[in-house]
Amino acid sequence: MTVAASPAAPARPRKPRPSRVLIAGLVAVAAITAWAAWEVDFTLGPLLENFSNGWVVVEQFLHPNWSYLGNAWTAWLETISIAIVASFFGVAVGLVFAYMASRVTNRSTPLYRAVKWFLAVLRSLPDVAYVLIFVALVGVGSLAGILALFIFNIGIAAKLTAETIDAVDPGPLEAADASGAGTFSRARWAVQPQILPNFLSYALYIFELNIRSSVVIGYAGGGGIGQLIQVQFARFNFENVSAIVISMFVVVLLIDQLSQYLRRRLV
Amino acid sequence: MIELNGVTVRYPNGVVGLDDVSLTIPDGQFVVVVGLSGAGKSTLIRTINGLVPVTEGSLKVDGVEVAGASQRRLRDVRSDIGMIFQSFNLVKRTSVMNNVMMGQMHAIPAYRSLIGAWSADEKERAFQALERVGIVEKAWTRASQLSGGQQQRVAIARALAQDPKVMLADEPVASLDPPTAQMVMKDLQRINRELDITTMVNLHFLDLARQFGDRVIGMRAGKVVFDGTGAEADDAVFEEIYGRSLTADDVLPGHA
Ligand SMILES: Nc1ncnc2c1ncn2[C@@H]1O[C@H](COP(=O)(O)OP(=O)(O)OP(=O)(O)O)[C@@H](O)[C@H]1O
Ligand SMILES: [Mg+2]
Repeated sequence: MTVAASPAAPARPRKPRPSRVLIAGLVAVAAITAWAAWEVDFTLGPLLENFSNGWVVVEQFLHPNWSYLGNAWTAWLETISIAIVASFFGVAVGLVFAYMASRVTNRSTPLYRAVKWFLAVLRSLPDVAYVLIFVALVGVGSLAGILALFIFNIGIAAKLTAETIDAVDPGPLEAADASGAGTFSRARWAVQPQILPNFLSYALYIFELNIRSSVVIGYAGGGGIGQLIQVQFARFNFENVSAIVISMFVVVLLIDQLSQYLRRRLV
Repeated sequence: MIELNGVTVRYPNGVVGLDDVSLTIPDGQFVVVVGLSGAGKSTLIRTINGLVPVTEGSLKVDGVEVAGASQRRLRDVRSDIGMIFQSFNLVKRTSVMNNVMMGQMHAIPAYRSLIGAWSADEKERAFQALERVGIVEKAWTRASQLSGGQQQRVAIARALAQDPKVMLADEPVASLDPPTAQMVMKDLQRINRELDITTMVNLHFLDLARQFGDRVIGMRAGKVVFDGTGAEADDAVFEEIYGRSLTADDVLPGHA
């Protein structure tokens, strides 16, 4: 049965055509991708050709040397220690910068601009770049890893936390201002309790990131599990590398789960 | 004493919040400000402690000029003026005690405030403020766990901890149910009488205005259109202030 439309009902609107801008955009993206592939002579050929050569390697990978896990354990402890130290000091310093990088807590425009700019510069380099810099400065080892991650963490912690500060409930701030409280007291007691759960969650997230990047960090000379992988690779001990990679799946997964569980409880 | 002399407030968007207002409020008076939404009640209160800058005219609190005062001077003026808000403005994620401490921050050096190292005197003062509003047993409770009425009392304690000479309240009972509104208003009145704190309260309900106002100030479109005692403020006066006849919404339900 159909429902008779009342005579006064206005005509039903037609479905609009797809937007021309959208179509033009998709074509542009496809064209840029094609150009980029041509620019780097992209081809999957080597993957197939070299695969047969690599069979020996794959063979070794399929037979991990479990007895090597003992060595991996020590390196993991080093990696986790590096991550803890770098996260702790990184987020602590990041918090101070976050207060200076939000209009809510920093009412000096020149300082605000300077801090924003400084943090953008900090974040412009990836963590590996900092490892390379600090390896050059203090030599290969966990100190280079700690310093690199520390600097890297300041940038992320400050950005995430500053955004949270921007969004706090302004009511308590108004009350603080109305009572004549100073800048520091206001930040500490009207803002900090509001952002604390988010801040702790960011701290855990940054710790997760630090564990995840442990391979690259170590490869570049920053100590820990990555350094062990690099050495074993260089010696073609692929059974050992395989055992480490498997331990990596387990450790990273466990730490992620634990951290995410804690973060869910926080916010 | 609060003295406004030809005070005009123009917001950056051009809206005139106060239009050539002159008032003198002697020490210890309990003043109620009434008027329709947008009349300029909040603007008047927020101008007195410098949260809204004066565009023209002179505004003195205890002889100190607020109009054009430096940030430093404003902080000093504000430390003597407690303020209470419709939405309480407590930090919900921290204890009642820490909220009340906010009232004393102006006098606590930053290095102690940052680590929360309150002196015995400061704690004593916070407890006394909480006792005065009858809520001292909640000192270590999280503010988020209190009812609206309790939160507003904590906010009053926070203002009291400032040891203020003036108390400003912007619709302090608008988010509370009628019996709680009565209690909070009585707290404010008692504090005004006991501590001789000059009090200025914005109210929506005209029965509360009559009941509590030693003096009632009526506002419309940024101007003072009535200034008299609570007894003088009869229905005709309110119809004059509101520019319309009164309705049941103008009185606190269950209390007319
Ligand atoms: N921050 C602001 N910027 C621009 N205009 C404002 C601002 N605050 C208030 N106004 C305007 O100033 C006028 C007076 O507002 P005010 O808040 O003082 O009124 P009110 O009497 O407190 O009203 P209500 O009962 O709704 O709280 C209104 O027209 C309002 O729109
Ligand atoms: Mg208002």
